[in-house]
Amino acid sequence: MSLNPFFLQGSPGEQRLVQDLINEQLKIYGIDVIYIPRKFVRKQTIIKEIQSSKFDDNFAIEAYVNSFDGYGGQGDILTKFGMSLRDELSLIISKERFEDFISPFLEGENSNEIALSSRPREGDLVYFPLGQRIFEVKFVEHEVNFYQLGKLYVYELKCELFEYEDEVIDTSIQEIDTQIEDQGYITTLQLIGQGLLATATSTINTGYIREIYLNNDGYDYTSTPTVAITTAPYGGTDASAVAITTSRAGVYSIESILLTNAGAGYTVTPTITIVGGGGSGAAVTCSIETSRSGISRFAITGNGAGYINSPSVSITGSVGTGETAVGFAVVGAGQSISSIRIINPGVGYTIAPTVTIDPPPVLSGIGTYQFNEEVFGSQSGTRGRVKSWDYDTKVLKVSLVDNAATKGFYAGELIVGAASSAIYLLQSFDTWDQYDKYSENIEIENAADGIVDFSESNPFGTF
Amino acid sequence: MLGTYYYHEIIRRTVIAFGTMFNDIYIRHKDSTGDSISEMKVPLAYGPIQKFLARIEQQPELNKPIAMTLPRLSFEMTSIQYDPTRKANITQTFKTCDGSNLKKVFLPVPYNIGFQLNLMTKLQDDALQVTEQILPYFQPAFNLTVDLVDSIGEKRDIPIILDNVSFTDDYEGDFSTRRILIYTFNFTVKTYLFGPVSETTDGLIRKVQVDMYADTNRQTAKREMRYTVQPDPYDAAPDDNFGFDEEWLSFDDSKTYSPTQQTDI
Repeated sequence: MSLNPFFLQGSPGEQRLVQDLINEQLKIYGIDVIYIPRKFVRKQTIIKEIQSSKFDDNFAIEAYVNSFDGYGGQGDILTKFGMSLRDELSLIISKERFEDFISPFLEGENSNEIALSSRPREGDLVYFPLGQRIFEVKFVEHEVNFYQLGKLYVYELKCELFEYEDEVIDTSIQEIDTQIEDQGYITTLQLIGQGLLATATSTINTGYIREIYLNNDGYDYTSTPTVAITTAPYGGTDASAVAITTSRAGVYSIESILLTNAGAGYTVTPTITIVGGGGSGAAVTCSIETSRSGISRFAITGNGAGYINSPSVSITGSVGTGETAVGFAVVGAGQSISSIRIINPGVGYTIAPTVTIDPPPVLSGIGTYQFNEEVFGSQSGTRGRVKSWDYDTKVLKVSLVDNAATKGFYAGELIVGAASSAIYLLQSFDTWDQYDKYSENIEIENAADGIVDFSESNPFGTF
Repeated sequence: MLGTYYYHEIIRRTVIAFGTMFNDIYIRHKDSTGDSISEMKVPLAYGPIQKFLARIEQQPELNKPIAMTLPRLSFEMTSIQYDPTRKANITQTFKTCDGSNLKKVFLPVPYNIGFQLNLMTKLQDDALQVTEQILPYFQPAFNLTVDLVDSIGEKRDIPIILDNVSFTDDYEGDFSTRRILIYTFNFTVKTYLFGPVSETTDGLIRKVQVDMYADTNRQTAKREMRYTVQPDPYDAAPDDNFGFDEEWLSFDDSKTYSPTQQTDI
C-alpha cells in the first residue's frame, strides 16, 4: 500500500458531513426548480431517436444557479427560421437529494417510458421559475468537485432552452403547463354554448303561386339573379322568390326557384322573369291555385340560436285530399334561422298549419374540457388534444392528433371530450395557427391566390 | 433612355408562387402502437426579415418560455441570373389587351432566380417525412402558371427545377452543443422579366368589311356585294362573351368604297 495508513482520505462520517453541508448550502443559496422527467412514447430504431415524448411528472428540487450573473449561451439570435433563443443554464443539484427523493419515484414507472432512474438524465426538462422558462438537460456532469474526500456529492445540469415540437407537457402545475399553451401547431375552435329553438308561424291564402317550373336553367349565372314576379291585383299580396344558383365544371346555372312569399289574390298566372346575375337564358313559369288555400308565407317568431346546418321544418295541418306544404329553413347570421322558404306551399288547408322547426344539435353545451385530454369531432372523427379551453368565449385551442381522413373538423358537428365528456357544438374552426408569429402560410397562400393559376389543382393540396 | 417608372412585382410574385408550393405540408407522429398522436402543419416563412420586426413579433413580451418551435420551413431568394438559353429577339413586341385597351409589350427577358428552401426539424424522421412530400413532384422540374403582369393578364408557365438536396446533421462532438438538423433544397425558377407596358396607337378591330367585285380590273370594277361583321354588342371587350352581327348587302349603284373617305363614291 502506497498511501499513508495513518491518514484517511475521507471517512464515511466526513463524507456524510460534506454531503450535509452541501445539501444545506443548496437549500440556503439555491432556488426551487421543477425537474420534469421525459417519458418515451415511441422510440424509433435503426435511425435511433425518440419520436414522441411526454412530460407528466414534476419533482421540486433545490438547485444552485451556477451561471448566477445571467444565462450562458448565445442569447437571442435571428436565424433562417426566425428568432431562436439560445440561452443556457447551469444548475447544481445534490446527488443525495436526487437519489433519495426523485429516483425512487422514477423506479416505479414503466421501464419502457423511463429508461433510467438512478440519475438525472439528458433530455429531461427543468422549469426555471425565475425566468418562467423550460430548459432541457443536455448534459449531466457528475464529477464536479472532483472526488473530494473520495466521493461525489453533486450533479451539474447543463441545460439549454427547450425546443418544442408537439410534446405533451402535463405536469399538473398550471404555471408550467400554460407556458406551452400557445406553442406548437394549434387549431382554434369556436364552439357554441347555448342553443335556442327557432319558432315560426304560417299564413294561408287563396290565389297563391301553387308551383314554379324552371323550364330553362340558363347559363353564366355567376352571381345570384333577381326573380321578378308580376304583382297581384289590388287587395292581394305580391309573390316573391329567390333563385338558387349552381355550378358544375365551370358552367353556372340556376338550380331552383324558391318562393319566399307565395302571394295571394292572384287571378291570372303571373309572369316570372330572371334578371341579372351575369347570365341569360333562364325561363320560369308557374301555376296558381285560386280555389283552395295553401301557405302563402312563413313568419319567424323566434330566430333561435345554435343552428349550423338547415334544420328540418315540419308543417302539421289537415289538407284533406290536398298536399302538405314543404318549407326550407335558412340559417343566417349568428347561427339563427333568418327565414323559411317555400319549396311547396301545399294545397287544401282550411286553417293555418302548425310549423315546427327542428332544434339545434345541442340546446346546451355541457362540461369543461380538460387540459391535454383528447377531443374528437362527432362526424369528422378528427381528433385533437386540448391546449386550452375558455368557457366564457367558448374558444377551444387544440393541437391536432389525427385529421388524416377529413383534413379538419366539420362546422356543425359536436366536439366531444374523451375524458371529460364535455360536449359543445362547433360553430367554426381555424386551421391557421394564429399564435405562431413565425408562420406565414396563410399570408403566402392568400397572396398566391391572385397570382398562381392552379386551375388544374394544386398537387400539394389546398391550404 | 431608362427611367420610365414601372414595377410589375414579378420577382415578388415569383417568390410568392414559389412559397405557396410548400405551405401545406404536414408531419405526423405515432405512438408505439402505430396510432397517430400528433399532426402538425409545418410553418413556412420567407427567411430574410428585418431584425427589429422579428424581435417584436416573435419575442414581443420577452417571456418566451422555449427556444423555438420545430419543425420549420423557410425559403429565400439566393440569386438572379440571366438565362441565355431562353434568349428571344429583344426588339420584338407583342400586343395584348388589359381588358379594354390594346397594349404593347416588349418580349420579356429570361432570368433564372435561385431559391433555397430550408427545413429545420427536431427529428430525422420529421425531415424525411417532409422531404418525401416534396421530392416526387420535381422531375426535376415542376411547372407553375403564374400571372406575372396582371395589368395585361400575362400568365407564364414557370418551371421550378429542383437542383439538389443537401443536409447537415451535427450530431458529433461534445454534449455542450445541440444537434441541429437542417435540410437544404436548392431550386432554380425560370421566370421572365417584363419591361414597361405601353399604350399602342392601334385599336381593336371591331368591324370587318369585305367588298366583292364581279371583275378583277380594279380600275373599272364596282363592288357588287358587301359582307360586314362586327361584335354583338359592339363595345364588347375581348374577354367578354359576345356574338357576331353579320350583314350582307348587294348594290347596283356602280360605286366603290373609298378607304380614305370611308364611304362609297
